[in-house]
This record gives sequence, C-alpha cells and structure tokens, in this order.
Amino acid sequence: MPDMKAFAPQGMLHEGWSAQADDYALTCGWGEKGKTLLVGDVAGGLYAFNADSGNLIWTKKEVHQGGLLALAIHPEGDRVATSGQDGSVVVWDATTGDVLHQIQPGKSWVEHLAWSDNGQTLAVASGRHVHLYSSDGIEQWKTDAHPSTVSAISWSKPDELASACYGRVTFFNLTEQQEDQKLEWQGSLVSMVLSPDGDIVACGSQDNSVHFWRRTTGMDAEMTGYPGKPSQLAFDQSGRFLATGGSDQIIVWNFQGKGPEGSLPGQLVLHPEPISSLAFANQRLVLASGSRDGSVFVWFLDKNGDGNPLGGAFVGERVSEVCWKPNDSALAAIDAEGGINVWDFKIREGKNS
Amino acid sequence: MYQKVPVTILTGYLGSGKTTLLNKILSEEHGKRIAVIENEYGEVGIDQGLVINADEEVFEMSNGCICCTVRGDLIRVLGNLMKRRDKFDYVLVETTGLADPGPVAQTFFMDEEIREEFTLDGIVTLIDAAHIDQQLERSQESSEQVAFADVLILNKSDLVKEDSLVKLESRLRDMNSMAQVVRSTQADVSVESVLNLSAFDLDQVLERRPTFLEPEYPFEWTGVYQLEEGHYQMILEEGPDPEMSLVGIPEQKEDEESLKESAEQCVRLYALPATAINPGDSISMKQHLSLQLKSSGSKTFHFNSKTNTTIGFYAQHTAEEFDLKIIKETSSGMKTSAAEQSFTPIKPIKERVWVAEHEHDDEVGSMAIERVGNVDPDKLDQWIGQLLAEKGVDIFRTKGFISYPNESRRIVFQGVHMLFTAQPGQEWGDEPRRNQLVFIGRNLDEDQIRKDFDQCLI
Repeated sequence: MPDMKAFAPQGMLHEGWSAQADDYALTCGWGEKGKTLLVGDVAGGLYAFNADSGNLIWTKKEVHQGGLLALAIHPEGDRVATSGQDGSVVVWDATTGDVLHQIQPGKSWVEHLAWSDNGQTLAVASGRHVHLYSSDGIEQWKTDAHPSTVSAISWSKPDELASACYGRVTFFNLTEQQEDQKLEWQGSLVSMVLSPDGDIVACGSQDNSVHFWRRTTGMDAEMTGYPGKPSQLAFDQSGRFLATGGSDQIIVWNFQGKGPEGSLPGQLVLHPEPISSLAFANQRLVLASGSRDGSVFVWFLDKNGDGNPLGGAFVGERVSEVCWKPNDSALAAIDAEGGINVWDFKIREGKNS
Repeated sequence: MYQKVPVTILTGYLGSGKTTLLNKILSEEHGKRIAVIENEYGEVGIDQGLVINADEEVFEMSNGCICCTVRGDLIRVLGNLMKRRDKFDYVLVETTGLADPGPVAQTFFMDEEIREEFTLDGIVTLIDAAHIDQQLERSQESSEQVAFADVLILNKSDLVKEDSLVKLESRLRDMNSMAQVVRSTQADVSVESVLNLSAFDLDQVLERRPTFLEPEYPFEWTGVYQLEEGHYQMILEEGPDPEMSLVGIPEQKEDEESLKESAEQCVRLYALPATAINPGDSISMKQHLSLQLKSSGSKTFHFNSKTNTTIGFYAQHTAEEFDLKIIKETSSGMKTSAAEQSFTPIKPIKERVWVAEHEHDDEVGSMAIERVGNVDPDKLDQWIGQLLAEKGVDIFRTKGFISYPNESRRIVFQGVHMLFTAQPGQEWGDEPRRNQLVFIGRNLDEDQIRKDFDQCLI
C-alpha cells in the first residue's frame, strides 16, 4: 500500500499527480517535449499520461512476452521504442499508441535502447551485438560480437556509439562502420555514462568501483571504496560533476581542474538506504535521487560537489527511476509497486523551509 | 522480513542426466513456480514456461582474486527476475557440463543485490556412475563439482555393479564428506532430496545425515559369517596389495550398534603391531594380523569355529578386492586344490563398508573438526581470516557452527573459497557447548588446521 506510507512532497517539490501501473514500474520518459509521461512496467504494460493532469491517454498490455526491459523516447518525443525478454523491439507512436515498427534483432533479451541525438538512429543491444536501425526500423549495421553480453550503450556523437561489456568499452564509428577506439580494463562494467562532450567515459563496475577514462589523453583512473556496486551514474550538463550511487550516500566527483583523481568527492547524505536512481536536471546544477526505501530528494550542488537538499518526498517503495521534465518544471518518480508520482518543481531564491 | 527466493544449482557432466532431472522436478512440482536458468542449449527440451537461456559468462575482476569471480549472466538475469517475484518462488540454475561451480556459488555471496533477494539453497551434482572414475582422473572441473556438492546423485547406477558402486560411494565421500549421496537410475530421485535442503546450514545437514562426521577407520570392510562347528578356510585371490590387515571378532552380532562397538575394539587392535601370517597359517581371533599375499594364485588361511556361532572379519580392503571367500572343510581336512573349487563359498549374513582413512588418492578431500567448549572470537576470526586468505583458492567449501562464550546462540559459518559469513543461529539452551567445522578442499593440511583450531579454544 504505497499511498499509506507515502508522505507529501516538501521543499521545492510540490503536489502534482500520481497514478498506478499494474506491475513494477521499471522505466519512464517524457514524450512530446514534455506533454506526456510514458511509463513501462515489468509485465509489459505501457502507459501514456497527460503530463499536467495525469490522465491516462492510452495504455497497452503485455507488449513483450516475458516482460519489458527497456524504453527509449525519440528526441522529437513523437515515438517511443520498447524492448523485452522476447528479444524484440517495438517502435510506437507516442501520441496514439499505434505500432510503427517491429524489429527482431535476435533471441537474446534486449535490455538497452538508445536513440541518437539527431533521432536518425536507434541503437539496440541484443546479447553480444549492438544493432543499428534507421528511424524507419531498417537495420543499417550490426557490430561484431563483444566478448560478453553488452551491459550499456551510449551515443558520443551523432555517428559514434559507445558500448560497455566485461573488460572493455568500445567506440564504433557508424559512418565507417568500424571500431574507433577500445578502452580495456579487466572488470565487469555494469553501467556507463559519457560526459556531454563525450570525452569522459565513466563505468560502474561489479567490484564496487567506478572506472573512468579521458578519451583525449587516454588517461584512466579507478575510484574505489564503494560499499556496493555503483550502477547509478549521472553527469551534469556541464560535464563537471559525476554523481554516483553504490551506497546510501551519493558520491559526487568533480572533473573540473585537476580532479577527481586524488580529490575528495562531495557527499550527499540523507537517504536511509542505497541509491537506486540518479538524474541531473536539464539546465541547473540540480540532482534528483531515489532510494530503495522509497525516499526521493532533490539537491542543489555547490562548487565542490557537496549539496543541500531542496526538497524531498517519500513514495514507500523502491524507486526505479527519477526523471526530469525537459524544462525541469516537474520530476517523475516511478517505483517497484507500480506507483507513478509527478511533482511540480519550483525553484525559489533564498533559504527553503 | 520477506522470504528470500531459494536457488538450487544443478551441475554435472554432459550426459549425467541434468535435463532429465530438471524435467522431473518441473513435472512433479506443480505447486511451485520454478524459474529455470539454463546454460546448455540443445540437449533435451525443457517442458515448461519460465525457462531463461543465458550464456555462461564468468567474470574475473582486476584484483585477480578468484573468489571475486562471478557469473555475470546470472547477476543480470536474476536482477531482472527479482522485479517479477510474484511470478516464481524457486530458481533452478543448470550449469554447463564443464562449469566450475565456484563462480556460480560465489555470485550469491558477492553481489549485494542478489544476496538480498536470493538464498543459495544447495548445490546438486549429477554423476554418471559408469564414467565418473575416468572423469575424475581427467578433469579438474569434475572433482570440483563433487567437492562443491551438497547432494551427489549417482545416476545410471543400474549400469554399474553393486560392489563398484560401494567403492565409488566411498571415494566420493572421501572427497566430500558433507554431501548426501543418492543413487538413481534415469535421474529418478525424490524432489525432496534436491530442493529446499537449506544445505548451506550445517544443522540441516546433520539432521539429514547424522553420520557425516563419522570417524575414519583403518579398515574398509566387515563381513559377518554364520558358522557351524568345524574347520574353515579363508581364500584370497590376487589383489591390489601384497599384504592385508585383518581382525576376527567371534560372536559378532549383525546390528549396527554391535558392529560399531566391535569397530572401536578393532581400531584399538589395529593400533597394535600386526602379526604376519603366511598362507597355510591359522587365523587367531581378536588379534591384529597381516596376511602375507605376495605369492601368486590363491592363498588359503585356516580357522576353526568351536560352536555354532558368528564371526566378524574386519579387513583392510573390501572382500571384492581380493575376491575373499570363506568355505567349510570336510571332516578329513585334506583337500586337493582342484577339489576346493567345488565348495560353495559361505555368504556373509552382513556386510558393512567403513569410511577408510587410507584411501586419500584424490587431491580433493574433506575434513571435519569437532570440539567441545567455547572458542575465542578474536582468535578464531584472525585464524579463519588468515586461513581463507592464504588457502582460500584450495578451500572450496566451509561449513559449521561455533560456540562463543558470551553468545547464547550458535554462530553459523558458511563459505565458498575466501568468502564466508558468520551469523547467529539457533539458541544453545541447555545443550553442552561445542564446535563443528567442515572444510572441503584440495590438499588440505589436516593436522595443521586441527592444531590451529585448537589454539582458538578457550
């Protein structure tokens, strides 16, 4: 009963709307430039809500046999791709819920999807391969087999894609259809994030560390000492701060100047249980974080990467994703009990209560 | 607190019957919703809905520590499965034939999120009774699969003779004294013997098989014979050893308690120097004898039974190894060797095989420590930490419980390689305080480990 335990948002988070998915709400994103919120649950339920009212616009059930694993919204916001345990990818019209394309890259689970910033290419990780499709769903290229299942993908340029797997990060040039660069390190890389300029590659590793590389200098470093696996990673828009999970504290590494090697990271401490989701706002140095216990906080970071909470809320169940509206005027949090909460976010100058 | 989902790992060589067993479990456990994670394609199809195929991905870490080696595919698959907990209440992981069970087991200790949602219930290893001997010689994986097991299923046991099975069981127990050994044909074992074992809890193991800490004996076999008054011959054929120790116990009863009582007596007799006797000599009772068997062909020894009685022979080797026979002489007592062949050997009314201490041919073995009293927590921590850090590569499993002086509950230990957990378990109550630890590993230095443990006793 999530709403029994939940409490009202505080600080700069204000009552918005809430809704309920039929199963564990796994992934979400804002469609149509922030006019809708799209949510996928693990059973394969897909929901489109009006971003302001929370009214359900359309919904689909069991869109992937065995369960849904990923959802990616096209940069234009008019299309959404989903994938699942059935190994398929479906591209939907975000406005109507109609199926536009159906793609079957292979038999393996598809856990990662990513649209290029220009919206022309959809990258799909299926087993040890990454497949590239045009926005019409036509396969353009498929990478060679990676040494293990691909654990993360991310676009570094409109025609360059990065993939992570056990032991390495690989950059693929899609125009030349070849590998550009390989960054190797013996460890199971479980997540990856790139700085906005694409120079810094940071990966969460199974052995409770964050490994990162600077592509221009070829320097790499390892940040150890995490009590858990730092799967959650987020770069702010300026590329200065990398926020990481892996415990109940958020560790923030500062990449400006000499750092972060040898520097002390910022620490954001309020969550009672380990971090389960992190997201920087699109414009400001504001970070949203969700935790396994259901707490959600919004932080304003200072120049050292330390921060003060601007607001908080409690949804009572493990937060699977927090997601900022494109104009940062609202924050969505979805949880393991299917809870969907959207709060208005209003920044005020001066000290908050 | 909600219940963690139990996980059973199924290992065994290709052709040992894993898929047959899987199908049997799935068809019989209608009430349970079992998710199967399968790593071998193509063998026989599995008749059920929730089957996930995953490539076995063994991930070593940069620190080179073997206990940090995990199965990446399992972390991924289980990580997704735990979001659908309402869909299943049991997980079975089938490994490929050549899999080292270490990384699979370690995954349930190493990954914090997996550890929080799942509990390793047990490791079941299927063995092709007809081929395991060769497999153990050839491959390290095979002995590791035996060493890690909580249950060893001797499959296809119908294809192997009884005496070979007895020998095989003894070999396997020697390698892993902790595991329960179950014979089967067509992988037809009861589901209760493989699922919900809580095998990582030593108390449960003792409940199931209270004899697993049974001491080792200097003899391997006992045969009890019902004999009338008269002269008898013990005939041995050529065997593996030029001599064999033997003790005869008159009036041996065939019940387990009497056998054990005499076994203790024999242990003391075996500790005394043996009297060598040659073929043709007489066997005297209640004496440690060493039968000299160097000469070729059949060797005959003599003994008498004065009344109608039973005699138990406690022999260093099984009867089968020398084809040991007891036959009764006619009153004349003079037989040509050709005529002897025509006598029917007397069948023993009871046979028992003992855990033999001399049989340490395999590198992989197990040892148990049992001591009364309390241990010093700091000393124990330091010792076990150091032992596992130095020898953890060769120590596959650790299981046991410890008594601390200021703790009202047992401290339950369990470990895989260098990883171990110590958690308070059952209350001691009025029970006398004691400690039990079992190690399974390669080339264990038993004496040193015992000595070091004793240092930790208060």
